[in-house]
Amino acid sequence: MMKSKRILVTLLCVVVGLALVACAGNKNAASTAIKAAEDAFNAVKGEAMKYVPDKVKAIEDSIKAAKDTFDKGNYDAALSAAKAIPDKVKELSAAAAAKKAELVKGWEEMSGGMPKMLDAVKSRLDILSQSKKLPAGLDKAKLDGAKSGYETAAKMWEDAKAAFAGGNMADAMAKATTVKEKTVEVMKTLGMQVPAAATATKG
Amino acid sequence: MADEEKLKGLGPNDKGTGADAWDATQWHVVVKGDTLSKISKKYYGDPNLYMKIFEANRDILKNPDLIKIGQKLRIP
Repeated sequence: MMKSKRILVTLLCVVVGLALVACAGNKNAASTAIKAAEDAFNAVKGEAMKYVPDKVKAIEDSIKAAKDTFDKGNYDAALSAAKAIPDKVKELSAAAAAKKAELVKGWEEMSGGMPKMLDAVKSRLDILSQSKKLPAGLDKAKLDGAKSGYETAAKMWEDAKAAFAGGNMADAMAKATTVKEKTVEVMKTLGMQVPAAATATKG
Repeated sequence: MADEEKLKGLGPNDKGTGADAWDATQWHVVVKGDTLSKISKKYYGDPNLYMKIFEANRDILKNPDLIKIGQKLRIP
């Protein structure tokens, strides 16, 4: 009787010990997985913030949720949640790369075309400034507005180029799009033909 | 309106894609009765600025008094 009791206690100790070891194993695995997820995210966060900032918060929330679950001692769930994050980080990285490529392509087009438009407008404004009369559809107020619009656009174009040179492509494209819209407006005021690419809907 | 219609489809301006689609060169096609002075008045309001157009088209014009119907002139 005493002997069987001792065996039972020993078995119980073994079971509890194994459970503790298993639990510690899950804790370590979850901790490692969370760390790996954070490292993966930190590696792409800078680029992602530049190009797809709206998608960054979802990953931050996922990491925080995994950590919270870990802190509550639910290591299995924390491990499971952390393991899913690297795939989301890969998607985030791909989205950032795609957006960057789109912006670079848009910038290449704009940077080839905008100087031509601005030069054409400047040339016309210079000549109209020497004119003793203005053509039909244009009066002094409109001409002054066009001059002011051109100056604004030309300055913003310099700002856009500076933003691009500084690596801020999203800002550069936003400014370039405004320049394009402003320049198109001025060209129409002056009765000029607007290049087809400048009237395309895509910025 | 008629002039605008004529100018549509001229040169690269109406191409929707590629570098030429950004070409902002302004054009005028010479029609019967046109002179550089008339064209200058149309675009600049002042016929006396016709030399601006002549200078911009020195590659195809030798004399400001001699322009031909159908000629495509750059309007700076």
